[in-house]
Amino acid sequence: MYIKALSCISPQHTFDGDFFKFEPIDYFSKQVEAIEPNYNELIPKGLLRRMGKGVRMGIGTGITLLKEYPNVEGIIIGTANGGLEDCVKFLNQIVEYKEGTLTPTNFVQSTPNAVAANLALMTNNICYNSTHVNTGLAFESALMDAFLTLEEQAGPLLVGSLEEISSYNINIDTLKGWVKSDDETLSLLTKSNTKGSVPGEGACMFIIDKSKENAQSFIRDFSQITTKDENVLFDFFDRFLKNNNLSLEEVDGFMLGLNGDSNCNYFYDLFINRYIQKETILTFKNCVGEYPTSMSFAVWLSTELINGNNIKLVEYQAPKAKYQRILIYNHYFGLQHSFMIIEKPI
Amino acid sequence: MELVELKEKLKVQIIEYLNLIDVKPSDINDDEPFFGGDLGLDSIDSLELVVLLEREYGIKIENPQEGRKVLIDINHMANYILENQN
Repeated sequence: MYIKALSCISPQHTFDGDFFKFEPIDYFSKQVEAIEPNYNELIPKGLLRRMGKGVRMGIGTGITLLKEYPNVEGIIIGTANGGLEDCVKFLNQIVEYKEGTLTPTNFVQSTPNAVAANLALMTNNICYNSTHVNTGLAFESALMDAFLTLEEQAGPLLVGSLEEISSYNINIDTLKGWVKSDDETLSLLTKSNTKGSVPGEGACMFIIDKSKENAQSFIRDFSQITTKDENVLFDFFDRFLKNNNLSLEEVDGFMLGLNGDSNCNYFYDLFINRYIQKETILTFKNCVGEYPTSMSFAVWLSTELINGNNIKLVEYQAPKAKYQRILIYNHYFGLQHSFMIIEKPI
Repeated sequence: MELVELKEKLKVQIIEYLNLIDVKPSDINDDEPFFGGDLGLDSIDSLELVVLLEREYGIKIENPQEGRKVLIDINHMANYILENQN
């Protein structure tokens, strides 16, 4: 599968293209929130006023690409939580008004498929429309859906993900020990060794196609596994490499989802010790924080690096490194693991 | 509550309930139609207005025909509230 175009809203200046011109923005906080663009030129006011943050970010990134590629043959979205803030508002209304008359907007906008549906309605797209919601692998599932869809029909497809921070998921994740108890310097997140991480949010969308004409990157392969056993995980990774007839020396950069969480960073530590040189490590959660579909940001960043847009992500990164092939390894709190190989299109 | 005061309160509540971006109470004329005019409201907004009437004024509109006579503009809505409250 080839990535033809991409768009990203994140806690960095990724939507306006300034991300690669300066140092990444640093935060000292318990959570990092997305920098949203002015949507007035992207979304009609009548629709915008009803949208929660997650839906806005998803539509904003998606519609930007659909203006360039209006004839996509499918819209496939991955999101663990969708418009969670609206969902909680709606649930609270049920309690507050004793299951009486409820406002429809919160309900309509809170369903995870609101983004794919809104994008289709806004562009009169009647093709395949699907949303995947399996937590830390929601984006990968959407990508797998795209891969299978492209085997059956022509492209291109719009594929992407979105996630928003809400008080609800912060509270739940805090109780689970997934959020750091004190403010953290985001740029130092990967070095942190306390419990939990720094929650982030954002949306990334991609135009995916079978043809390599004008492609920005090539997704060679990707695979996922749900396990807490490192031996099972590494056997899986060894098979992944073997299936791709790929040696580690052929990989220029390893994009790792290090999130500074002492609960489950040992998977990354073991992976680094077993497979890779420190100089080839790249990180991304020190830019955007942790969220279930952060893998899509790793794909966005890898594609940009392969395209020659360089930025210093870690201290030991070669200053003008050129990347032909990047291998991404990410896991969501030590259970849902994901591998992906992204290459320069040849 | 006086009619003039009620109309101003209604405008504030409508902006809040419908999250009308960049609209101020002074932008809404008393006889400006909710639907088909500059406000650009739609069928989902009509449901939001029904909920507003119930929550803020204790008035239930259960008959769609009645709703059509009330949800026209600020004048009609305010008069209906004064006639039906309590």
